[in-house]
Amino acid sequence: MKLAQYVLQRFATYLAVLFIGLTITFFLPRFMPGDPINNYISQIQARAGQTLSPEAVEQIRNSLAELYGLKGNLFTQYVGFLNRVILHFDFGPSFTNYPEKVSTILLRALPYTVGLLLTTTALSWIIGNLIGLVAGYYNKRAGATVLELLGIVLYPIPYYILAISVLIVLAFWLQIFPISPTFLPGEFTWEKFKQILYNSILPALTLVLAGFGWNILSMKSLAVSTKEEPFVQFARLKGVPNWNRMTGYVFRNALLPQVTALILSLGTIFNGALLTEMIFSYPGVGLLMRTAAGAGDYNLLYGSITLSIIAVATAAFILDLIYPLFDPRIRLGR
Amino acid sequence: MADRIVSTKSSQKGRSPLKLNARLYVGLSIISVFILGSFILPFFTDVDPAAQGTYLKNMPLSAKHLLGTNSLGQDIFWFLVFSIRNSLLIGLGASFGITLISTFLGMSAGYIGGWYERIVVLFIDTFITIPVLPILIVLGALVRGNTSFAIVAAILIVFGWAWNARTIRSMVLSLREREFINMARFSGAGTFDIIYKEVFPHVYAYMVVGFINTILFAINTEAALAVIGLSKIQVPTLGSIIFWALNYNALMIGQTAWIVAPIVATVLLFLGLFLTSTGYNELFAERRGVA
Amino acid sequence: MSRKSPLTSWVIALVVIMSMILSACAPSVATAPAATQASSGSTEATNPPASDATGGSGEMTEVGTPRSETLIVQTFDGKVDVPDNFNPLNASYVLWRGLRELAWGYLWEMDTATGQSYPELAAEMPKILDDQHTQFQVSLKKGIYWSDGVEFTADDVIYTLDTYFAGKGKLTYWGIPAITGYVKSYKKIDNYTVEIETTHPAYDFVTTMGVYTWGSLFNILPKHVFEKVEDLSTFKNPNPVTLGAYTLKSFDPNGQWHLWQRRDDWQRSSTGWMGQPAPKYILYKNFGDEQTRTLAFIKNQYDVDTFMSPDGIAAGKKQNPLIKSFSPVMPYHDMGDACSYGILMNNQKAPLDNPNVRWALALSLDLKSVGFNSMNGEFRASALPMPDTQITHPAFFAPLEQWLKDFKLEDGYQPWDPNFAADMVKKMTDAGADPSTLPTGDNVTKSYGMGWWKYDPAEAEKLMATAGYKKGADGFYAGPDGKTWEVELVIPSDWNKVMQRVGFSIADSWNKAGFKTNARQVDNGEFGKVQNTNSLLTTMVNWTPSCVFNTNYVQNWRSITKDNLKPVDSNEEIVGNNMRVTDEKIFAQIVEAGSMDQSTPEFLQTGQEIIKGMLSQMFYINMMNIPTTIPTNDTYWTNFPKADNAYSVPYTWWSSFKKILVTIKPTGK
Repeated sequence: MKLAQYVLQRFATYLAVLFIGLTITFFLPRFMPGDPINNYISQIQARAGQTLSPEAVEQIRNSLAELYGLKGNLFTQYVGFLNRVILHFDFGPSFTNYPEKVSTILLRALPYTVGLLLTTTALSWIIGNLIGLVAGYYNKRAGATVLELLGIVLYPIPYYILAISVLIVLAFWLQIFPISPTFLPGEFTWEKFKQILYNSILPALTLVLAGFGWNILSMKSLAVSTKEEPFVQFARLKGVPNWNRMTGYVFRNALLPQVTALILSLGTIFNGALLTEMIFSYPGVGLLMRTAAGAGDYNLLYGSITLSIIAVATAAFILDLIYPLFDPRIRLGR
Repeated sequence: MADRIVSTKSSQKGRSPLKLNARLYVGLSIISVFILGSFILPFFTDVDPAAQGTYLKNMPLSAKHLLGTNSLGQDIFWFLVFSIRNSLLIGLGASFGITLISTFLGMSAGYIGGWYERIVVLFIDTFITIPVLPILIVLGALVRGNTSFAIVAAILIVFGWAWNARTIRSMVLSLREREFINMARFSGAGTFDIIYKEVFPHVYAYMVVGFINTILFAINTEAALAVIGLSKIQVPTLGSIIFWALNYNALMIGQTAWIVAPIVATVLLFLGLFLTSTGYNELFAERRGVA
Repeated sequence: MSRKSPLTSWVIALVVIMSMILSACAPSVATAPAATQASSGSTEATNPPASDATGGSGEMTEVGTPRSETLIVQTFDGKVDVPDNFNPLNASYVLWRGLRELAWGYLWEMDTATGQSYPELAAEMPKILDDQHTQFQVSLKKGIYWSDGVEFTADDVIYTLDTYFAGKGKLTYWGIPAITGYVKSYKKIDNYTVEIETTHPAYDFVTTMGVYTWGSLFNILPKHVFEKVEDLSTFKNPNPVTLGAYTLKSFDPNGQWHLWQRRDDWQRSSTGWMGQPAPKYILYKNFGDEQTRTLAFIKNQYDVDTFMSPDGIAAGKKQNPLIKSFSPVMPYHDMGDACSYGILMNNQKAPLDNPNVRWALALSLDLKSVGFNSMNGEFRASALPMPDTQITHPAFFAPLEQWLKDFKLEDGYQPWDPNFAADMVKKMTDAGADPSTLPTGDNVTKSYGMGWWKYDPAEAEKLMATAGYKKGADGFYAGPDGKTWEVELVIPSDWNKVMQRVGFSIADSWNKAGFKTNARQVDNGEFGKVQNTNSLLTTMVNWTPSCVFNTNYVQNWRSITKDNLKPVDSNEEIVGNNMRVTDEKIFAQIVEAGSMDQSTPEFLQTGQEIIKGMLSQMFYINMMNIPTTIPTNDTYWTNFPKADNAYSVPYTWWSSFKKILVTIKPTGK
């Protein structure tokens, strides 16, 4: 059956992506120039005012190598790690925050990244496509040109420039939003939810704006061509009202490539989210990754990159599974 | 990544109010100003724009210093000129490599098919899905200190080829089924001959569009890394100039030109590249008649 | 296809699903932190306490405390990934978040303005029981209580020492190997007296068992809490029981902030004798990177910053008159930090093994331009291998001034430039600096230091010629083989912006003087590795060999030993002697100083001799004191320590913070 074959094929790709991704990211941090143990010892030296004797340092070095799982050659470490990651989803302890588990640190940051990403991706996709649809469907009117111009100007602006501009205008000049986010601990309440929302608006706005442009432009060009197709013209002659033609005929047919594009751009969107987090000090995985890279904390870095790849690949896989809903050719086996 | 915007599917019967060729003209003129300006102007100065303390600090805009000088005693205008040039160079270099690799892999996969295609597609899917930034963060920390820009470009190539390869492969896939290819095959032409003579001309237009979009991708990625301090920031690029301006709090010490000029330049350059690529794409689609 | 299709409903369904996912995800955003919040008072934070009638505008902080009673401080360490570890036996606990100043108590603290130690938990300075200086009797103050009401006694001290010895090799805190190597035996005499014997004659007993500059190797544990814990290596010490005047109220599970509340029984705390600390609440919060921090500071969102860049402060002062730097005149900041910035050179690696080459690099460094370009001229030059502070100046700088003036290199050249400070003022004036911000008269040398080395590329060229290096056609020095010498200068990346900037300016200066220099910026992980690995280090901007805070220079320099010397191509890591000094005479002098009574003039004289030896061979190019840029905002709190109100140094991470807390006043806003 066509559908089963499709699902299987996607699943195989999913596994392969995971495997290749994990392998690349496993070896990459090992080539990093930093060395967690030396970093740690030099920090200690600075703090302890050079009071450690060479024997004491040697003792620390040995015990840390043991604790961090850095004994043995690269292959032994690799096998050990794969074992732990695959069987227990365990990335070991963070080097700079020993003995805290990397998975604990990641789980703390993950909700922020996921929340930010899901919201902004959905918003920019839905609103962008609606604007694009209107601009394309009514492409002869002046308003449509304005909407399209919006897309043309927004699309090529890089994330970091949008982020910096948004920060300057909304947080500093107009003072509508906080300059740096604050999150309260404690029970989840409506108040707390509002606070999280309020503190997340700036990074979210950046991501929505950045995603906007492409959705407007591509939807518009699809809508323009689709509405000239014979079946839409036929519907018009049949007397199907404007709104129904726009949504039921044009949008429906333009939807497919837009979903495909969304699946393909997930990785890119994720990159943007990481960058945005770094610029706004938003407590997600991106910020974690930056500090881990700086401190040479392999385990944390490895964990956060692995998590990113799993997240993006899984999101793409889920969208792949929903895809047949939109594409009757797969659903019905052509 | 920029290439997503290439929509080859529309046959533009309905005229867009924004005339296609207008896009191309505007885009091309922006790019030519940037290219000509940044490649010719450097011949008219002996001053190393990155040398510190060449002029007095924080001077306002004047005829002598078009954009004033920054907190390091550098002339902002000249720094910007060199930044644009270096960014363009990196963009062109990376884009050249990416176009070569992606065209080769995309075309061969599309035409040869079979296991070869499956493996290539698997790698394409992987490289598209894997978020590149985390990997670039690691690599950035690794190489930024003592490497040339060639290595930065090489890294961009390794992680940037998949998008174009994917598009080209699917184009070739649809071409493969067309009449004229079969004709060529039956008339006894070799695989390479067919790819070169029959398939390539159709892919060519996309290559141009892809090439321009990839420049955009490369400049953008390098600049993003520079803004968070992970590229070779002592070399002027569009990213490093923003990095320095942020580092010295340009905006708040009244050095508006220092931060706004590179932002405006970046947006304009990107707009120019983008308009050129879409303009060209649609022009070609029009000429082709039907995609 | 053109019938009223199910697809519209699919789209609607998708939107519904999306919004469900969104609403489902939102609670998870919030509950996850709540779940990991193990500490005290998490619920209190959401229910703002009633204002304590100190008046004020009734404005509340984001963490639910009255702004008028809350002192808000930028964190020293940015954001932390693991904010809930308060166990001082663990090296990665959040010690920068107020634990050192507000929570722990020490046997002896150090007055960071004078370098003098004073008793805190101890009743007095230790009694020395033998002539070898190895046996000490420590008596403790009575009436000090832990924050949970249990009295602090000798048992806590003994328990801490027991724990250190038992946990050797298992617990990661660096004080453990240090103290267990330092202490030979100990015993309790009575509830308020202990006796401790050291392994070697110890003239630094109070600074080792107490505080040297910043931290302590010996953090006393509450026996009644820790003895119940099964595994101290994984214990996180939630709800830390404190000796200091504050207790932890709540903190951000994301590591952006920690909130402290004054103890009701603060009189019974380790700092109770100093008086009542003014702020009821102290919030340590990370306001993000430099850009967002400056914005927040201008908007009065916090009161004290830590290491803001000169430009950030300039911007702040320009836009908000209540923002003040330590001094209204150049160089604006307190220069009393224990360490200084300088350039490490690998003394073993050719051609840097030649003192003439090292001197050539020093004379090719235009420090005035470096300080002007990278620091806006806000620095104090220091030519000796230590910072020029109010403590070290009378001990080392003033006695050596004449020697510096007379000092000659091998070829008779006199490198000392006594006019450095005056020239610096001139440079600032030429650049259009406001004369009212520039020092005059005696203050010129006080501000910019008593001098530095001349900037003389011509002399450098002569020195390089003796080593066989000549400038090539491209203007860069090339070795005897005709190859250009490429100097690698390792500098910190974003994690230390001041050094990063200074580093780029040094490279700029050397390049102009003919040394082809590549400034390679590295993250802090790699920085430590380069510093400690012989074969990697060529030159680097660094501070570690120069940390001399009080007159006890041996504290730092004892690591300059033969033990810390490895073959030139060895990849083995070493700690200390990072510049690979090979001079036997210096080694011997340092060993000799280590066994001297530090209160004697002979000890200082030996130090001066060591300095002369180091300078003659230019082991290390020391450049400037670390400018500790600590701007304050007077909106909610005033009377912070300033140059004209110097009741303490301005640091929020030293003992000075304890003094600041009892001295600042609320504005009532």
